[in-house]
Amino acid sequence: MKNALTGVERALFWTLAFAAFAAAAAGLSARAVDRIAAGYEEARRNYAIIRVIAPEGPEGLSAAEAALADAPHVTSAAPMTAGRAAALLSQWGGASMDAAEIPPLRLIEIELAPAGEQIDVSGDIVAALAQGGVTAEVVEAPDHASGGGLAARVRVAAFWGALVFGGAMAVIVWLAARSLAARRRELVTVMTDLGATGGQAAGGIADEAAVLGLYAGLIGGALAGLAGLGVMLLAIPGANLDTLPAMILPIDLAPIIAAPLGAAVAAGAGARAAASYFHRQAARLG
Amino acid sequence: MTRPNSTDIDLFERGVLARLTGVDCGYGPTTILTGIDFEVRAGEVALVTGPAAAGKTTLTHLLRLALPPTAGRMAIMGVDVARASARARANIKRRIGYVAENPVFVEQWSALDNIAMPLKMAKRKPRDYDDDLRELVDFVGLSDAAHLTVAKLSGAERRVAAIARALASKPDLILADDPTAGMSPDEGRRIVRLLAEMRRVGAGVVIASQDESLGDCAPILRWRIECGRVLPVDHPAPEEAEALE
Repeated sequence: MKNALTGVERALFWTLAFAAFAAAAAGLSARAVDRIAAGYEEARRNYAIIRVIAPEGPEGLSAAEAALADAPHVTSAAPMTAGRAAALLSQWGGASMDAAEIPPLRLIEIELAPAGEQIDVSGDIVAALAQGGVTAEVVEAPDHASGGGLAARVRVAAFWGALVFGGAMAVIVWLAARSLAARRRELVTVMTDLGATGGQAAGGIADEAAVLGLYAGLIGGALAGLAGLGVMLLAIPGANLDTLPAMILPIDLAPIIAAPLGAAVAAGAGARAAASYFHRQAARLG
Repeated sequence: MTRPNSTDIDLFERGVLARLTGVDCGYGPTTILTGIDFEVRAGEVALVTGPAAAGKTTLTHLLRLALPPTAGRMAIMGVDVARASARARANIKRRIGYVAENPVFVEQWSALDNIAMPLKMAKRKPRDYDDDLRELVDFVGLSDAAHLTVAKLSGAERRVAAIARALASKPDLILADDPTAGMSPDEGRRIVRLLAEMRRVGAGVVIASQDESLGDCAPILRWRIECGRVLPVDHPAPEEAEALE
């Protein structure tokens, strides 16, 4: 093939492609972590437990269920059975629990519709229960002040982690692209001798490196995208090629789109910096 | 922006391509040439001789603006170099054809592609310069090797290719630093005659060499570098130049 890459250029191309793949894969992983953490946080926020205080006994639970059917924010309500309580205690406590050992519970699990920050969801539910003749308290998931901000911290860590990793890959691309400029050093010297300005001498080499970075980034990004699809098919139960498009948000594609652009910019900048340095060396002897 | 000096422009219009007056230059703190008074006119060929390490290469670097003068005044193509902007200096450099002592090429390119580089840099299209380029390659005697990669050329062919490259853009001033190094006497004289031919198209030519006998093969103004100074030597009268030719 006449225009096939040879030697240093081929090695550089695959270095850039690998860096782009790694950066895009890190970005996709961060997106996955973000989506999982956001889903977890949403489920946590939309869940609460009602503890019925009065009246006591099964009547209290029945009255509370009836009142919750018309209560605001509540999308579903179900009394917590001994089996469910045993399962939860086993999950969080570690040791296996027998449902027979659980005393009668006066707890109702409820799911909530998303509500704004300013709305007193618990107060509204307690008021609705009171109107139904039930005294109860709402136990919500702990807020940030009570140590419930893990998901938010995970999301921030994933974002910045991917950004820093992407930056490190950009530095690798920047440094690798300098090798292209080094390989074109004689061209820079000749152009300088022929009166080329720094911009002229470095511009052509920077453009060449940027195009190389763009193609390498396209390949790296595409490979990362394929790897991401494979992981989704394996990790998400029931996922298939028909359901996957509905699961993917446009923002999830950002790392794949950023890979070729970032690789092109970093490669172009690295080659330009090196070529400009060679031009300065060739231009002035004294 | 630097305003051009009218005296410099006037000199250039009268054919003075380069005029150095009381110029010092060197590398860092080391001064190599002092108090240089030197002039090159359009249609003139100057041979600058001197012993090894006398400063011949330094003079060519100075004339091609690779070295700044540390004192004195230097006007090239009607521009005071000390006051010129980077862009103005780049414009001047594009009008200078330079044959280095050890010419640098893009080794994996063909000789023809290397020779065409000044034209490519000027963004000229190959179809516009192809014929001129072939004529130039024939003129310098490189037709048989023009399509070989530079890495495959002999030392003499590389030097000829460097000369062709320097001439490709039809420069106003041609600087050749030891262009006959490593060549047989006959081949060296052919190269000097070839360079001297450029005076016919109005170019000024400066040849730096240790070989003083080169002055005999064409009408040439001789200069000699001694003790860091550039001195004129027996500049021939016009009729003598005709006889030499």
